[in-house]
Amino acid sequence: MAIKKKRYALVIDSRKCINCKACVVACKAENKVPVGNFRNRINEERKGEYPKLSINFEPEQCHHCADPSCVRVCPTGASWQRKDGIVLVNYDECIGCRYCMVACPYDARYFNEEEGVVDKCTFCSHRVDKGDIPACVETCPSKVRVFGDLEDPTARIHELLSTRRYRVKEPQTGNGPQLYYLL
Amino acid sequence: MHEFNWGLLIVVYLFLGGLSAGLFFAAGLANYLTVDDKPVYAKVARMGALLAPWPVAIGSGLLILDLGNWYRFYKLFLHFRWQSPMSIGSYLLTIFTLIAFVYLFAWLKEDERKWIFSKIPATWKQVHRLNVDISSWREKIAMVGFPFSIGVGIYTGVLLGAVSARPFWNTNLVAQMFLFSALSSGSAALLLAMLLDRKNPVEKHETKFLVTLDVVFISLELFIILPYIIHGQLSSQAVKDALTLILGGPYTVVFWVFFLFLGLLVPLAIEVYELFPSIFKGREFHGSRRMALTAAGLVLFGGFLLRYIFVYAGQVSSFHRMGLLR
Ligand code: SF4
Ligand code: SF4
Repeated sequence: MAIKKKRYALVIDSRKCINCKACVVACKAENKVPVGNFRNRINEERKGEYPKLSINFEPEQCHHCADPSCVRVCPTGASWQRKDGIVLVNYDECIGCRYCMVACPYDARYFNEEEGVVDKCTFCSHRVDKGDIPACVETCPSKVRVFGDLEDPTARIHELLSTRRYRVKEPQTGNGPQLYYLL
Repeated sequence: MHEFNWGLLIVVYLFLGGLSAGLFFAAGLANYLTVDDKPVYAKVARMGALLAPWPVAIGSGLLILDLGNWYRFYKLFLHFRWQSPMSIGSYLLTIFTLIAFVYLFAWLKEDERKWIFSKIPATWKQVHRLNVDISSWREKIAMVGFPFSIGVGIYTGVLLGAVSARPFWNTNLVAQMFLFSALSSGSAALLLAMLLDRKNPVEKHETKFLVTLDVVFISLELFIILPYIIHGQLSSQAVKDALTLILGGPYTVVFWVFFLFLGLLVPLAIEVYELFPSIFKGREFHGSRRMALTAAGLVLFGGFLLRYIFVYAGQVSSFHRMGLLR
């Protein structure tokens, strides 16, 4: 059966995350992210006080929102969304006004000072188009990240999302974020 | 730590854009007020017309320089994206600036116009064709310009208000607040300019007109700001959290003391005090120069601070993680 539509998403099993930051390093290398900027990060959430202390590690990056506010506000159309849901920046069209950065509820974007343009996670679209998976997903030693096509019923993320409980971050933004955190 | 993606240049740009809108509005209005078919505020109208285009022109220049790739600014005009306030605003601002310059031209005196064209090389024939007297168009240009000046005033607020990711901004009250603040800054700037112009000393009825206009605009602004805070308190948790930035958070003092008290209530009180005897006691408007200067200066200071507070506090506010507040 031919699959017509695609919708890429990322499932994150954050309880498995050990904060090794291999994904952060892999992304920086893969995408030549400038020094001081990051496309993905690990949020740390501390609870309680020593000795009753717990720390949660929660990886985060661009949510490749279904209804992305960054794309909506961009005055030139440099920020755009592919049919498969991946949200990208067309660097040649970007004037560097940074409106999209202000408008992203997840603070997922950074300003590339050298090029004068805005940049962010691309879901490694250059790899995905060749049938590969994003560098962060490939590299994660504890298999926290599962990347795939929501429209493909045989995909592993499909199975995870239909059998496990999950949440998305701040759904009240109305952006329809596509990073799914397993509970 | 939360970074600020928009800084002081954006604050200045929003302030100057609004200032031009307010100047144009006040000047255009002054042009329409006549007694026995004679304009009574012609000097006010001319001063406003001469000043109006400059702040927005400078502000747009600054905005362009603030872009990551300033030379690509023309791309703003290769696209029209109706969902992007910045896209709509760029067109609005450009049209308004052009109208404001044409309006300025219509208010030039014959010798001023001749002097300007004498500086242009005689071989530029096409340009010299523009050397015509369009002073009879003043009313028409003002009428066309009114909606654009209001539009620019509103736009400076919508630019922030339309950002759903920032709860501090995301209410339509911000647009009205910025509009009324722009109109009030415009009349204050005009008053200031009239007071400082020693060659043509300002007359009492002109001061009274501008002071009255400013009282109206400040009052409108005040009664948008109070609902903004009350409304926010009754809104969703994210908006309530965002408001703590000015209710105990880092922007509390600058908001209440410097903006609301010094930049709004004090000038309002001065202006009402000045107008009171002439309106309620039937005495002549005495129009103290020093009082008017203070009030106008404070209004401009307040107008700038309002933009400052909104641009900075708004960027800190978030659904995601309250930057400085956590
Ligand atoms: S997370 Fe931010 S940058 Fe990514 S698609 Fe959503 S709004 Fe755009
Ligand atoms: S910085 Fe670039 S991508 Fe972002 S809104 Fe401006 S033009 Fe669009």
